[in-house]
Amino acid sequence: MRKFSFLFLALSIVIASLAQNNSFMIYSFKGNVSILENKVESKPKVGKILNSSSSVKVSPGAVLTLICNQNALFTIKKAGNYSLEQFKDSCAISKSSLSANYARYVWEQMTSHGEGAPGTNRKMFMNTVGAVSRSVNNIWIDPRLDTINYASGNFPLTWKSYSDANEFDFFLYDNASATNPVYKTTTKEMQIPITSILKYLKEGNTYYWTSAVKGENNDEIKVINYTSKNAYEDVLNQLKESGPAYEGEAEQAFRIAFGLEDARYYAEAYQYYQKAANLKPDVWLYRSTMMSFKKDYDIK
Amino acid sequence: MRKPLHKHIAYHFKNVHRRITKYLYERDTILATAWVFIFILMVKVLPLPNMHFFDPIEIALEDFDFNDITYSKLKKTVGDSLDQRIVIINIEEFDREGLAMLINKTSSLGAKVIGLDVTMEEAKEPIKDSLMRDAIARNKKLVLASRFHPGEGKEESVFAPNYFSDANTHSGYVNFLSKEWATVRIWNPFIKNKIHPDSNSYQSFATTIVQEYDPAAFEKLKKRNHSIEIINYSRRTNQYLIVSGEDLLEGKVDSSAIKGKIALLGYINNNPENIEDKKYTPFNEEFAGKSIPDMNGIVIHANIISMVLDGKYINKLPLWATILFAVLIGWLHMSFFIHYYLENHIWFHLVAKIAQLISAILFVYLGMELFSRFRIKLDLTLTLVVIVLAVDIIYFYEAFAVWMHKKFKYKTVFHQKHH
Repeated sequence: MRKFSFLFLALSIVIASLAQNNSFMIYSFKGNVSILENKVESKPKVGKILNSSSSVKVSPGAVLTLICNQNALFTIKKAGNYSLEQFKDSCAISKSSLSANYARYVWEQMTSHGEGAPGTNRKMFMNTVGAVSRSVNNIWIDPRLDTINYASGNFPLTWKSYSDANEFDFFLYDNASATNPVYKTTTKEMQIPITSILKYLKEGNTYYWTSAVKGENNDEIKVINYTSKNAYEDVLNQLKESGPAYEGEAEQAFRIAFGLEDARYYAEAYQYYQKAANLKPDVWLYRSTMMSFKKDYDIK
Repeated sequence: MRKPLHKHIAYHFKNVHRRITKYLYERDTILATAWVFIFILMVKVLPLPNMHFFDPIEIALEDFDFNDITYSKLKKTVGDSLDQRIVIINIEEFDREGLAMLINKTSSLGAKVIGLDVTMEEAKEPIKDSLMRDAIARNKKLVLASRFHPGEGKEESVFAPNYFSDANTHSGYVNFLSKEWATVRIWNPFIKNKIHPDSNSYQSFATTIVQEYDPAAFEKLKKRNHSIEIINYSRRTNQYLIVSGEDLLEGKVDSSAIKGKIALLGYINNNPENIEDKKYTPFNEEFAGKSIPDMNGIVIHANIISMVLDGKYINKLPLWATILFAVLIGWLHMSFFIHYYLENHIWFHLVAKIAQLISAILFVYLGMELFSRFRIKLDLTLTLVVIVLAVDIIYFYEAFAVWMHKKFKYKTVFHQKHH
């Protein structure tokens, strides 16, 4: 009988803890957000405590950050009506032990193998961008695409979106202050292949492009220099001549690819990375660099 | 027939025990250990020129503390709850007029204590100054920021009171007495007035806020009588409720977020590239070498206040305990190394290097556990230096012991096998 009492008590504690009401505090919000408590709709206020039976309405473009049980912070970015009951999983705290974290850290450090020398690790040595970023909008374009030199081949002009938009406008201008684009299209993808706009480009000229959530504007414009074949050949020849006397074809292709990427001839650099990887498929560095390049620039 | 597992374990344990203890009580082991400390003492005491001015490792690690790893890499404080006693109000780019409005608004929402983390040392625009003076006069629970300026040359630092301070206001200095580029790990709750030793000590900003909010916690702090406290960081920036000053003035903040709490008015910027009023803390991702400051000063003040209110101070073990620990560990290692040196010399260097690595990992872990779990700071630098030096000192000691043996018939375990 005593055992049953104990079991009943233990079960009651478990059930009580499962049924426990989570409390949510509004940590911050941006845009149009409203809360519904006891069927009464009101505006949110930072620091206000809501219980699980409340619900929140987040409009498009709005952001709401809640903190559950004064502990777990999470953000709702997607527009919609949400009952706070459905966020109980977000209240869970994953607090691992110091010992486990230390063991993991020591293992990671002992099994890591450095970053490689400059010139061999694109990721490590090309991420330092010497430019500022301006304006806040829903589109992010990689600063590495600030200026692209282009002569031939294919390469995607890509962007990322902070919003849940499904459609994006792409604009191509022939001068930096133009208001009317020479080409405009709407796409569901977050990239445009450069070959698809070639018919609007004239060799030797500079063009400007941007993308925006459909119906919105983006002041951040990027540059494409459609260089002449001769200008490109000059760069290529310089790179070829700057190599060591005895250099294999794959090694040369890899070195040229690196140089072209540095010179922002991305479409051409990709061709050379491919060439190096194809010539020596067993060299891990060539293959991994090419894969990494594809990933960085969203080449499909 | 195979041995049962427990016998295997017992056998290996005995084996290791024998390797460590066989030479433990030998005079040579004790003297060799003593030589390690004599060598360290000589380096410390002798007036040798500074050999490290060009040493990149020494320079890079000047501001290094093993315990920082617990914050930066081992996720200490991740998952800890918001401090509900403190709310930080971001003053953004508010001028004195805006700050006066913020003080009045915060006060009207029922903050128990308001701390204004803005140094104001001189008059500015008369109208705005009047508004500020009025706000300060109305709010008796407001704590203003004063500061120390470094003295010129060898002169003492100069205390600069807040321009709006008078006999009826509360204030505290906002300096962290660390190097400008160094990690803020310590805090001086009180600083003695050296010019007028009979007058009261200067109080730090956090100390004055605690005094107003929780006199019992303040008395406890005072009783500790520590001129330097190690900051027990317990929360990252997002583990405090941060309210935009603009939102507060526009009525977008619930009064329950402010009422009865400590409201800290300070500058917060979550953009990692904005380093205005940001300091280096143990939370910095880079715990050694170059990096950018990571935490706004107001959040450091908030962490100090949390620590004092919780009474969760960090206690540093005294120097004698640090030395005693280093002696014990050094002695055990020396015994172990001498065993291999004399009986398995072919493996000596390999085993010594592995033992040093394992010891380093183990003792760093021990230090972190003591720090994290028991809030005890044990400086393990000496212990680790002793472990590293022990191997080299054996060679020196062997030569010394053999010489002593030849000259004075000194009995030593080293006289038979010379390496």
